[in-house]
Amino acid sequence: MSGEDYDGLDRGDNDGQKPDKMFTLKKWNAVAMWSWDVECDTCAICRVQVMDACLRCQGESKKDSYGKQDCVVVWGECNHSFHFCCMSLWVKQNNRCPLCQQEWSIQRMGK
Amino acid sequence: MITLNRKLKKEHTEPTNGLTTAESIVRRISVRDKLLIKEVQEMNENLPATCSVHFEDPNVLSEFILTVAPDEGYWQGGKFKFTVIVTEDYNMAPPRVKCQTRLWHPNINVDGDVCLSLLRQTSIDEHGWAPTRRLKDVVWGLNALFTDLLNFEDPLNIEAAEMYNKNKTEFQTKVQDYITKGKR
Ligand SMILES: [Zn+2]
Ligand SMILES: [Zn+2]
Ligand SMILES: [Zn+2]
Repeated sequence: MSGEDYDGLDRGDNDGQKPDKMFTLKKWNAVAMWSWDVECDTCAICRVQVMDACLRCQGESKKDSYGKQDCVVVWGECNHSFHFCCMSLWVKQNNRCPLCQQEWSIQRMGK
Repeated sequence: MITLNRKLKKEHTEPTNGLTTAESIVRRISVRDKLLIKEVQEMNENLPATCSVHFEDPNVLSEFILTVAPDEGYWQGGKFKFTVIVTEDYNMAPPRVKCQTRLWHPNINVDGDVCLSLLRQTSIDEHGWAPTRRLKDVVWGLNALFTDLLNFEDPLNIEAAEMYNKNKTEFQTKVQDYITKGKR
């Protein structure tokens, strides 16, 4: 993932043309990498990836579901994400995010 | 797993009400048991040097005995056994812990009740139980009751804490008395 353009890197060493300047940086391309944060990507309650069905739903037969909703992801105002199934069980006893202890309020839901 | 095989055999002789055998088995393994498979292994790999764990029945991961043998502090030389029972509602609820060894400790009473914040189901601060905690955290917490988490400010055994505040030598002697009595 190299985005840099060097000029003169290979010159100048043995021929001694410009001993004061080894090379000039003519162009610089910044390259940013983006990836899922592994910590956020896993539901801290059931330890399954949030994009997969939660541990509870995995145990349930797909064919058996009578129009049952998909297992969705929920994001809190604190930006922590969990399976909606997992989090709704926890907030019944303690309405805080188990990761940061902030009062839990839903920012968005989805897949 | 042996338990799984047993369930499998049993399943063949039972009516499966429309579900395939595999499906109904998966469904019968609770979330707790699935979590335990991972967490027991993790606990064993991260066991502090002062701790050992024993499963009475190797097929039942939800019940075990934790032995703590502190290598420093007032309880050095003692061996303290705790039964840990992971109930069906884990990890929404913390494991149930009882100390089976009689000891003189401000946070464990003579009946074996343990006062450890992370085992508290309802807590308004970050020290209580949360489903993000794991078995290894419970082991770490119980082990630390003899060192870092030892707390004389908010005691369960008030008499022990008062004795400590009045006379540390007397406290130390009583702690060691209990340890020697336990060995007999
Ligand atoms: Zn989950
Ligand atoms: Zn689910
Ligand atoms: Zn949070």
